[in-house]
Amino acid sequence: MKSIYLKSKLRWRTLKTSNRTIKHYYRSVLGNLSKPLLQIPLMAIDLEMTGLDPKFDQILSIGLVPIHNGMLQLGKAQHKLVSIDGSVGDSAVIHGIVDRQLATAISAKEAMVWFLSQTQGHVLVAHHAPLDMCFLKAEILRSLGEKMSFVAIDTMSLERSRLLRQHEVLKEGSLRLDACRRRYGLPVYAAHNATVDALACGELLLAQMVAIAGKDDLNLFDLLR
Amino acid sequence: MDASELQPIVQFLQQSVPFESLDEATLATCCRSLTVGYYSKASSFVPLDPSHPQLYIVRSGAFEVRDISGELLDRLGEGDYFGFPSLLSGEEASNRVAILEDGLVYHLPPDIFNLLRTKSRQFDRFFNKAFAKRLRHQGRFKARELTTTSRITTLMSHSPLMIDMKSSVADAAKLMRKSRVSSLLVIDNKKLVGILTDKDLRNRVLAENLDGKLPVHQAMTTTPITIESNSLVFEAMLLMSEHNIHHLPVVDNGQTQGVITSTDILRGQSSQPLLLIGEIERQKDLPSLILVSKQIPLLLQNLISADARAEEIGRVLTSVTDALTRRLIVLNQQMLGEAPMAFCWLAFGSQGRQDQAACSDQDNGLLLAHEPDEAAQGYFEALSKAVCAGLNECGYVYCPGDIMAQNPKWRMSLNRWCAVFDKWVNTPDPKALMHCSIFFDMRSVFGPQSLFDGLQDEVLKNTKGNDIFLAGLTGNSLTSTPPLGFFRQFVLERDGTEVKGIDLKHKGNALINDIARVYALSAGIKEVNTAKRIRALMEQNIINRKDALNLADAHEFIAHMRLSNQGYQYTHAKPVTNYLMPKDLSSLVRHQLRDAFKVVHDGQVGLKLKMMRSY
Amino acid sequence: MDVQTLTYLIVGVTFALYIGIAIYSRAGSTKEFYIAGGGVHPVMNGMATAADWMSAASFISLAGIVSFTGYDGSVYLMGWTGGYVLLALCMAPYLRKFGKFTVPDFIGDRYYSQAARTVAVVCAIFICFTYIAGQMRGVGVVFSRFLEVEVETGVYIGMAVVFFYAVLGGMKGITYTQVAQYCVLIFAFMVPAIFISVMMTGHIFPQIGFGAELIDAAGNGTGVYLLDKLDGLSAELGFSQYTEGSKSMIDVFFITGALMFGTAGLPHVIVRFFTVPRVKDARISAGWALVFIAIMYTTIPALAAFSRVNMIETINGPESTGVAYETAPEWIKNWEKTGLIQWDDKNQDGKIYYAKGAESEMKIDRDIMVLATPEIANLPAWVIALVAAGGLAAALSTSAGLLLVISTSVSHDLLKKNLMPDISDKKELLYARIAAALGIVMAGYFGINPPGFVAAVVAIAFGLAASSLFPAIIMGIFSKTVNKEGAISGMVLGLLFTASYIVYFKFVNPSANTSENWFLGISPEGIGMLGMMVNFAVAFGVSKVTSAVPQDVVDMVESIRFPKGSGEAQDH
Repeated sequence: MKSIYLKSKLRWRTLKTSNRTIKHYYRSVLGNLSKPLLQIPLMAIDLEMTGLDPKFDQILSIGLVPIHNGMLQLGKAQHKLVSIDGSVGDSAVIHGIVDRQLATAISAKEAMVWFLSQTQGHVLVAHHAPLDMCFLKAEILRSLGEKMSFVAIDTMSLERSRLLRQHEVLKEGSLRLDACRRRYGLPVYAAHNATVDALACGELLLAQMVAIAGKDDLNLFDLLR
Repeated sequence: MDASELQPIVQFLQQSVPFESLDEATLATCCRSLTVGYYSKASSFVPLDPSHPQLYIVRSGAFEVRDISGELLDRLGEGDYFGFPSLLSGEEASNRVAILEDGLVYHLPPDIFNLLRTKSRQFDRFFNKAFAKRLRHQGRFKARELTTTSRITTLMSHSPLMIDMKSSVADAAKLMRKSRVSSLLVIDNKKLVGILTDKDLRNRVLAENLDGKLPVHQAMTTTPITIESNSLVFEAMLLMSEHNIHHLPVVDNGQTQGVITSTDILRGQSSQPLLLIGEIERQKDLPSLILVSKQIPLLLQNLISADARAEEIGRVLTSVTDALTRRLIVLNQQMLGEAPMAFCWLAFGSQGRQDQAACSDQDNGLLLAHEPDEAAQGYFEALSKAVCAGLNECGYVYCPGDIMAQNPKWRMSLNRWCAVFDKWVNTPDPKALMHCSIFFDMRSVFGPQSLFDGLQDEVLKNTKGNDIFLAGLTGNSLTSTPPLGFFRQFVLERDGTEVKGIDLKHKGNALINDIARVYALSAGIKEVNTAKRIRALMEQNIINRKDALNLADAHEFIAHMRLSNQGYQYTHAKPVTNYLMPKDLSSLVRHQLRDAFKVVHDGQVGLKLKMMRSY
Repeated sequence: MDVQTLTYLIVGVTFALYIGIAIYSRAGSTKEFYIAGGGVHPVMNGMATAADWMSAASFISLAGIVSFTGYDGSVYLMGWTGGYVLLALCMAPYLRKFGKFTVPDFIGDRYYSQAARTVAVVCAIFICFTYIAGQMRGVGVVFSRFLEVEVETGVYIGMAVVFFYAVLGGMKGITYTQVAQYCVLIFAFMVPAIFISVMMTGHIFPQIGFGAELIDAAGNGTGVYLLDKLDGLSAELGFSQYTEGSKSMIDVFFITGALMFGTAGLPHVIVRFFTVPRVKDARISAGWALVFIAIMYTTIPALAAFSRVNMIETINGPESTGVAYETAPEWIKNWEKTGLIQWDDKNQDGKIYYAKGAESEMKIDRDIMVLATPEIANLPAWVIALVAAGGLAAALSTSAGLLLVISTSVSHDLLKKNLMPDISDKKELLYARIAAALGIVMAGYFGINPPGFVAAVVAIAFGLAASSLFPAIIMGIFSKTVNKEGAISGMVLGLLFTASYIVYFKFVNPSANTSENWFLGISPEGIGMLGMMVNFAVAFGVSKVTSAVPQDVVDMVESIRFPKGSGEAQDH
């Protein structure tokens, strides 16, 4: 059911949009969706933002680490800083990006074009994906004038449902990326930037896939919810 | 983008030996080339793609390396590596990596791995050492059946008879009769197109009432099932039984190499040690024993090609020699009658140590229960002469130093043997010390154990804690040192202008034998086999555990090199020697050999320190 | 060429010789040599033993002591020679029969006790250590003179040389290196002695010149005998007569005894008896060693007397009133640089003058006598350089042997057998080297701040050996009743008694170090013999009241003294 809904939604979007880049983007994703999970190219992503509200806050940086054949490809990992209006402000405390570094940044529009070209054909993977998707959609609407739709696996919701299924009480912070990773014995990364977090999220997904599937086969739609 | 974005990974590598030896830029390149995978114990084993070797770096989780038979070789955790053996050797991985605990693993592609090896000598050394260690472990636990591991090259005929496809079957049959073979390979334009066997002639020609002028290609089995020359004997057996055939052409890359038949395999089986020993025990006279002993070189070849441990090969070959000796004694006693007193047939030297190899000569003696009278002397002289002569004819040539039971000097009563050993121990002059390396490695091959124990106990009582004797023995053994120069380069032996190579026996194994002997005599250990001596010394904490394991590994490695070198010399019809040319070795093996010799050197230094109080 | 260049050259050549021999005998086919030649010839082995035996103390210091103290100094000659005989005849054959390589091993087995062994190890280390300290001082004196530096700097240089030679290099203990060292040192010792003897008495053999009449420059006899002249000079300057001792009979007796019995306990010489395969050969080489030692020891009194006469005459001048400092011989100025000769112009007459007591303006270190003799006698520069090489050879051969004993005792007997049974070979070797390095450093300290002269320091080592190890060995061989309790308490008390007596008089209260205060008139140098008696008494006493010796040990002692096996087993 989920697959039919998702696919038809994407097809509809493909039809509706007039932007050729985005049309192409949808087609490439659609073409991959029916493949076995291992063969679907995935892209672990992470965004650093000035805040949590997509309406006012802006994207500061984007980290991408592709997952091909169940392996994270560090060689193809990428990172872009995005220039913003105004100052980074207090949020620098969290993501460590200060204004000075933003000098090498690209504009938000360039960033979105770059993002679409890089993730073409990929299913996205993010921790707490809805938030990142909101920011991406808002920015694409702002700079490209297109209403966008993504296929994204949310490692956080995967984790939540897994924990709930085990009748675990969800404690404050137990769904944070590091907390989730610890549950799978994954190493804790001291440094935080968009790439490392994307990598961390990608690794978490690999661990979750194994935990969910056990010995059974898994398909993409088991992961999308 | 630079690798600084992947700081946690760079940091991890920086803390891992040997990556820490790399400079920052190289480390960044290396980091950028990684892929990351997650392995779960749900799938039991890490899928190692043979077409895609890579270095696996364990980031989290726990893994076990096991060989084909499931023997544990290594246990791995964070910061450990696997997959490097196939990267280094270029051979397909035969070990399996079991997943004990889910974990994250980084993969380093082969091109980067090789780049790092060229960039950092330390990096290269680390993995070479790890590989050597793995190999040794593999050896330590390996106890394979011969048929499963020996390769068909040792058994197949290398110059098979061939016939053109247009020849007549009559010609083919004549050729087969003339050469007494049961099959011919049929070729067309140098290419193998079929095989013609007795069965084909019977079923397709005679039974069909066809003429002898029929061209071969109409009678032959077309596109026969073939096998590659590096296949295992056991694969050949499988193919034969699967297709109910008895002949397999051996083809490599379209080139016909030979043919292997079920008879060849049967012959190979009979040179298996147990069968051979059984065979020996069934023989009724010397000529048939000589005939049986002709299989011993083949047995050695089989063992070498089966990649058996050198220590095992030594033990197997020695047990054959023992059986042969016993049989000769029994056969001769049947002629000479009952012995006038109890006696032991003593084996010395390599037979005593159970590390015989190709071209061994005999070192033996006779231990009599008490002083013989005239008649008894005559009896034992006749017996020992006959047995030594028999051994000589079976391929164990007379000892050039005349250390043989047929020499009346080495045919003595218990008391006189004790006195002789006493003299050697109390007056360790150079000649006595030379004798020590032969006589102190003694074993009784035939005769009552209690008699032999009487001698051995007395000898060990004298040597144990006799520091002056042991110092002399040590000094004597240190006159020969491993063939490493000041800068750890190999020192080659020369004969005039001719470079002979490294003497693996006298500059390698003999030195380890010496070290083990001195320690064993100092502690009164009864074992004479070098590996067993080292084990006993380790257990009694006379040699430190690490030193002992190193020494045992070096002994095995050098012996293995020697045997495989001799196997190579034998199959290439070169004179079989103990000399090895290091330039014939891969750099990896050279490293390992150097390490092994370094262990020998360290062992000598340790012995000198303990026994001679000097360094 | 000046003396310094020549010294560098000759020392360099002799070192190259030792290293060359070491490399040759290593790389060469020693095995074939052994089998062909049937081992090292006893004469060669005798020379090697003599090189081990004759330390820097013998070479550098002994003649100095005899020269300065005359008859009194002869106790060292007698004690050491006697000790050698005792060792060669009474102990080595039995220890050999017992099959033990080191004295602590023998004591540990004979007294069936790890504790006894450990006590013996500690004694041995202590003794070796004191002995090396003496060597260091000697090496320091050599270097300081010929590199023209302070004696302290000389000791530092010596420490470095000995460290490289004994700890890092692999050339010690090789018989032929030792033989070469013997040749160098005996040549270096004899050449100046013969030169001077010919110059002063016309006799080639210094031993004969010692008792002959002096000749004048033209070669005619003067009718004055050397020793008479020396007695006269000594009396004139307020010293006791050269041929008369100042020590009491009992003191001389005890010092000689301490030296003699101490020698027998010295660990590094015994080993030489064991490296010869046949006991017969060991005896023959011991005999040869005695001959080679005697060559030097009989020359010492002669050389001492010659140099004494020469020294007094060159300092005090023909009229015995002293010579002007400006015209003073070159050697005085050379040695002043090392701080081993000091001139204090007390009467402000600008003349140097040497005599006994407060009148004397010269302070002369005895250790320089042998080294300075060729200079005093105006011998050619190469002779002076040769003596330097000889002194080094003597010091190196002995210290290398002693350092080996110290370092392997620490690493093997103390660490491996007691504290860290699980230690690896590599670690053991490392600890051995560290122990050797520490030994050198501490010996160097005592070399710079010596509690006496070289020979006296060494004499203390012998005293300690005599009071601790010697009785334990002798009782171990010749008594079936002394048990482990007896042996341990004997060693401990003997060593404590001797050490505290020496420490009291040499360090705590040096001003009281006069014969009136001595116990029974026995000097600290001789107390070792009394310590030995204490040891014997305690050991027998304690053994009487404690449990008897186990039967197997009794059997063992009996078998040691049973002659078979100390010789050859019957040939078959």
